[in-house]
Amino acid sequence: MCTYVNGPLIVQSDKTLLLEVDHERADDCRRAIAPFAELERAPEHIHTYRVTPLGLWNARAAGHDAEQVVDALVEYSRYPVPHALLVDIAETMDRYGRLTLSKHPAHGLVLTTTDRPVLEEILRSKRIAPLVGNRLDPDTVAVHPSERGQIKQVLLKLGWPAEDLAGYVDGEAHPIELDENGWALRPYQKQAVENFWHGGSGVVVLPCGAGKTLVGAGAMAQAKSTTLILVTNTVSARQWKHELIKRTSLTEEEIGEYSGTRKEIRPVTIATYQVLTTRRKGIYPHLELFDSRDWGLILYDEVHLLPAPVFKFTADLQARRRLGLTATLVREDGRESDVFSLIGPKRFDAPWKEIEAQGYIAPADCVEVRVNLTDSERLAYATAEAEEKYRFCATTATKRKVTEAIVRRFAGQQILVIGQYIDQLDELGEHLNAPVIKGETSNAQREKLFGAFREGEISVLVVSKVANFSIDLPEATVAIQVSGTFGSRQEEAQRLGRVLRPKADGHKAHFYSVVARDTIDQDFAAHRQRFLAEQGYAYRIMDADEILAES
Amino acid sequence: MSTPATPPRSLAEALRTRDDVSLAALLRSRPDLITPVPTDLTQLATRAGTRASVVRALERLDRFTLQTAQALAVAADPAPYDELLGLMAGDARDPAVVNALPRAVAALREQALVWGADDRLRLVRTARELLAPAPQHPSPTGLGPTVAEATAGMSPGRIQELVTAAGLPSTHDPVSAVAALTKLFTSRRRMKTLLAGAPEESLEVLNRLVWGPPYGQVTADPAARLRWLIDRGLLLPTAPGTVVLPREVALHLRAGRAHRETEPVAPPVEAKATHRPQVVDAAAAGQAYTALATVEELLKDWDEGGPTVLRAGGLSIRDLKRTAVALDLAEPVAAFWVELAYAAGLLASDGEADERYAATPAYDEWLQQPAAQRWAHLAETWLTATRTSGLVGGRDAKERTLSALGPGLDRSAAPEVRHRVLTLLAALPEGTSPSTESLLARLRWERPPRGTGSAAPQSEDDLRSRLARWALDEAELLGVTGRGALSGQGRALLGAAKGTAPGSAAATAKGSAAKDTPSDAGDKLPVHHRAPTLPEPLSPAEQAVASAAAARLLAPLLPEPLDHVLLQADLTAVAPGPLERPLADVLDVLADVESKGGATVYRFTPGSVRRALDAGRSASDLHDFLTAHSRTPVPQPLAYLIDDVARRHGHLRIGAASAYVRCDDDAVLSEILADKRSAGLRLRRLAPTVLAAQADPAALLDGLRAMGFAPAAESADGDVVITRAHAHRTPPRTAPEPVPDGPPTPDTTLLSAAIRAIRAGDRASTTPLKTTPSPTGELPRTGSAETLATMQAAVLTGTTLWIGYVNAEGSASQRVIAPIRVEGGFVTAYDHTADEVRTYPLHRVTGVAELAEG
Repeated sequence: MCTYVNGPLIVQSDKTLLLEVDHERADDCRRAIAPFAELERAPEHIHTYRVTPLGLWNARAAGHDAEQVVDALVEYSRYPVPHALLVDIAETMDRYGRLTLSKHPAHGLVLTTTDRPVLEEILRSKRIAPLVGNRLDPDTVAVHPSERGQIKQVLLKLGWPAEDLAGYVDGEAHPIELDENGWALRPYQKQAVENFWHGGSGVVVLPCGAGKTLVGAGAMAQAKSTTLILVTNTVSARQWKHELIKRTSLTEEEIGEYSGTRKEIRPVTIATYQVLTTRRKGIYPHLELFDSRDWGLILYDEVHLLPAPVFKFTADLQARRRLGLTATLVREDGRESDVFSLIGPKRFDAPWKEIEAQGYIAPADCVEVRVNLTDSERLAYATAEAEEKYRFCATTATKRKVTEAIVRRFAGQQILVIGQYIDQLDELGEHLNAPVIKGETSNAQREKLFGAFREGEISVLVVSKVANFSIDLPEATVAIQVSGTFGSRQEEAQRLGRVLRPKADGHKAHFYSVVARDTIDQDFAAHRQRFLAEQGYAYRIMDADEILAES
Repeated sequence: MSTPATPPRSLAEALRTRDDVSLAALLRSRPDLITPVPTDLTQLATRAGTRASVVRALERLDRFTLQTAQALAVAADPAPYDELLGLMAGDARDPAVVNALPRAVAALREQALVWGADDRLRLVRTARELLAPAPQHPSPTGLGPTVAEATAGMSPGRIQELVTAAGLPSTHDPVSAVAALTKLFTSRRRMKTLLAGAPEESLEVLNRLVWGPPYGQVTADPAARLRWLIDRGLLLPTAPGTVVLPREVALHLRAGRAHRETEPVAPPVEAKATHRPQVVDAAAAGQAYTALATVEELLKDWDEGGPTVLRAGGLSIRDLKRTAVALDLAEPVAAFWVELAYAAGLLASDGEADERYAATPAYDEWLQQPAAQRWAHLAETWLTATRTSGLVGGRDAKERTLSALGPGLDRSAAPEVRHRVLTLLAALPEGTSPSTESLLARLRWERPPRGTGSAAPQSEDDLRSRLARWALDEAELLGVTGRGALSGQGRALLGAAKGTAPGSAAATAKGSAAKDTPSDAGDKLPVHHRAPTLPEPLSPAEQAVASAAAARLLAPLLPEPLDHVLLQADLTAVAPGPLERPLADVLDVLADVESKGGATVYRFTPGSVRRALDAGRSASDLHDFLTAHSRTPVPQPLAYLIDDVARRHGHLRIGAASAYVRCDDDAVLSEILADKRSAGLRLRRLAPTVLAAQADPAALLDGLRAMGFAPAAESADGDVVITRAHAHRTPPRTAPEPVPDGPPTPDTTLLSAAIRAIRAGDRASTTPLKTTPSPTGELPRTGSAETLATMQAAVLTGTTLWIGYVNAEGSASQRVIAPIRVEGGFVTAYDHTADEVRTYPLHRVTGVAELAEG
């Protein structure tokens, strides 16, 4: 009697969608809902998607209408879909496109509406008023070209997203080709490049180690124009340069580095966030970099780290193509929506486990090791000041013993020990007889040590959070995390990413997180692990005694 | 009526000629006429003519029938059918009106609002008074008084002037002059000629007044265009500075129509969307399931002490907000569920000193029923309840906020509106959802809101429209409708079989109603068509059968409860459908619900696991439970979480003691414990040197002293307490009030009232009576019929009556009154005794006698 019994999808009243992955129609369903629903959690049996206004508007922008969305839900749903939810979806999607941004031959950038009351409503908003110029006719208002990003962002917040038809400038052409010699873009990388190019601008989310740099290179080869690449730090900049020379037709001379030490502007320029946000006498002296050339493409590496001032600059760059790359779009500051409105919607997203199943990232064994504080430590912990508590429990001496035991257990493999507190790391380095890389280590020294680690001359490396991002350590198979930046989910994902590059011998990667039991360290660890747990990484929990007994 | 020898002369006579069926129809449509049962037809006719009853009957007419009654009120009395037809259909004889009018007249006749044969239709006098235009209450027709009425107070000379100005020969007396003028105004041909000579501006003035209001202001020296009209009597003065357009003139200008727009046909309910019936049923079933889950969740939320009852009754706004947040619903929706559970008897106030809301024992019984029956109970409750949750948050007449579960939420029209909305839905083809606007328009046509009898409704905010809107929303929430269309189970709930042909809603509603609705055979009434009866709500017994049928239809559509969940390594459990109750109960304790809907997502946290351990489960219990109910292996982190929480659970122990005994010498404490006399102190050893006691410190001190020890009391800081005697004091008290030894001196008001009452009583007993007074000088006791008749006669003749009266406290008195009005069981009269106008219930009047001279 009921026509719905066999669907793989369950629509919840809070607008989450539960997808049973083992269902025979799960893949069809996934494809049908991917355009408008965000994958939120991907553990082993049931994946959770969320329908958000932003997702629905992005779907509209990509040419899907409410009818298709409703059909997809009704088609695959196991139970009747609440009517209110369907109505809500239709209403939300209907809000998109009432306003359009376009180029007017005489007046430049204009905002037009098909629904006059909406225009009246938004023009009454205090935040819109400074961004618009004259009312050209009842349905049209001029917009200052420099406020294109700003107005889009504000309109999104007001719930009337504007369709941006103003297009992109091509920028200064510059020949770039992929040099696919002995390697090729992986299918999902191709898909990501294609989705991005189709959409114009946007964000590509790929797991660490899944080759985001190549997606960037692929996008540059599509754009064939001068490119500005923004990265987190100098080491990362060098790696980008290295990779681009290796994988594309670009030569050393065509790629410039714009950092604290060097200020080169070439057809392809790699700049660090740090140099851009350096402020002198209240102004940002390096901002002119954005205007120094007619850039055709701007690449944001690790877009989840984008500092607030860069958001502001980016708002002015709406006429240029923008590509954001990241492994996790979780920001602990909750500014994901700014990323979406200023850089662009998510154009490609692949669950980690899916890429792993395809063999492009190594399978990982995640273990949380719980160490007991000694009685005296427990007393000291109980009396510690609130702000000192984490540091105290995260650097407990027992962790050192456990770390040593794990290092002994994997003797001969490439091991990274990652931590937050320098004195803890120094102490570990001493006991493990391993070099320590921290903030004060010079770039030359860093590259030397990384090189040695890569060659296998050193098998254990102790790193602080400076190495959280974009360091390329191909053969690390074991990572041991002794402390972290409180409950950062994103940092945990990045650190796991350090060991996920596929191993030559198909080895499994190991990720150990050493945590002090019954302290806030444990609470933070639970929070940190949430993202990965939701991506399907199951943490085993072990007692330190087991590890110590083994060795 | 087969042409009787003499036409009826009164409503009572007209009723006497009606057969039983048509009398039954009258009494069914106007049940107020038989409470209490009248003694004879005369009394029935009298009661049918009372103001309250007529108002009630008029309010229940559809728009066209009401318009017909309004037209009759402006027609002559009695009016032939043709005159009525002219007023309704206009000179052009609108064919739709021509077709519909017999039905409307029949309906009015059936309801005893109109009587008499077609050649002399008479509107009941009270109805005529209510509907006829008067300066105080303008008629919805927008017509003014007739020429005769408007010229009533005019001087004969002035009337002759009018006649002359209008081009008529002068007459001997004003009466014939007015008749001549009326005749002129009612003749279309002659009026045309008259108006042809009118200045353009004067015609504009007429056009402004023609559809009403017919009154206009003029200055002492009117402009020429007005002067032209006033001279010819086309505008007649009513008061200084005011003129009126006489009815006859307006009707001429309107081409004979009493209403600008007549609506002879009920506006159809338009379809907005059509879905497959299966989709509708499934969607409604899904919503029905959600409804059950919501009610259960609500009562579970209130399980351990619901919100407190406000002093005035009901739920505070804050508690409603909190409930709405807990249920993750909007406040009005939360109010709906709370009210529904209350109306269904699932929750009530506990009646304790600190009054709170809680689930009733009936709730536990309800829980035991199969899901479909649980739903049917809720749906039936909703359909028949007069409580209206839509009002929550609004304000009553005294500007007090109406709170959920509080007083003032009953609307007697609610069940009838809900039923009507659903029957209108049922009349549409299956799977069709109506457009709300057309549905509301239809409802407003069937029962025009008060004051909007004319075609154009001014507002859509009348109670019935609001009730209908709420009914649509609530039907969707409950799953009576799905995607806006009536579901199969909803149809069954109305008592209609699922396969009933659409379009015959009127016939489907009720078995007994169907019997006398469509049949014209055996109809002895002088009616052309029998008015279609609106389907009436079912009787309780019929409703129970219908609900059971609805439950049977719903049962197979509800999802089957599952006995398993899927456990995942991110410490969540997903139940991909509804769970069996015992399983759901345990999981609710063991995990937090993260997302609800078709499925339920649970998250295990240390807190939730601890809750399960607190509820008396052991770690191994929990492991077994999860293994038994999980389709997949229990993930290691979850197993670890349970063990880890269990490891620390109960590590610290907490209890209550009211005093303790502490001693560094273990042996002394052992000695105390061993002593039988210490049993009353209920001591327990917590540690070698500490005993806890249930007795309070003072009793403990005394007890131990009695046993021969020398204990010292200790303060909270551990110091020895030294006790001193305190003086005893009472709590705060007020001083006694002085008691005087006599009554207070009366003031002047009281004195004058007393004197007046004495004088009036004096007068009543000395005035000679027309009827023979009893030898004792007391008032003769009269029967209620006689009392009424005497009163009504007195109203007409303006005589003064002497009555015996028993007040609300039961004390009898005699009063002299001059009745002004008798209606609704009350007599309004000038009371000579009290020297003011008062109202007395007739049933309290014990006897009445006429006074010889007022």
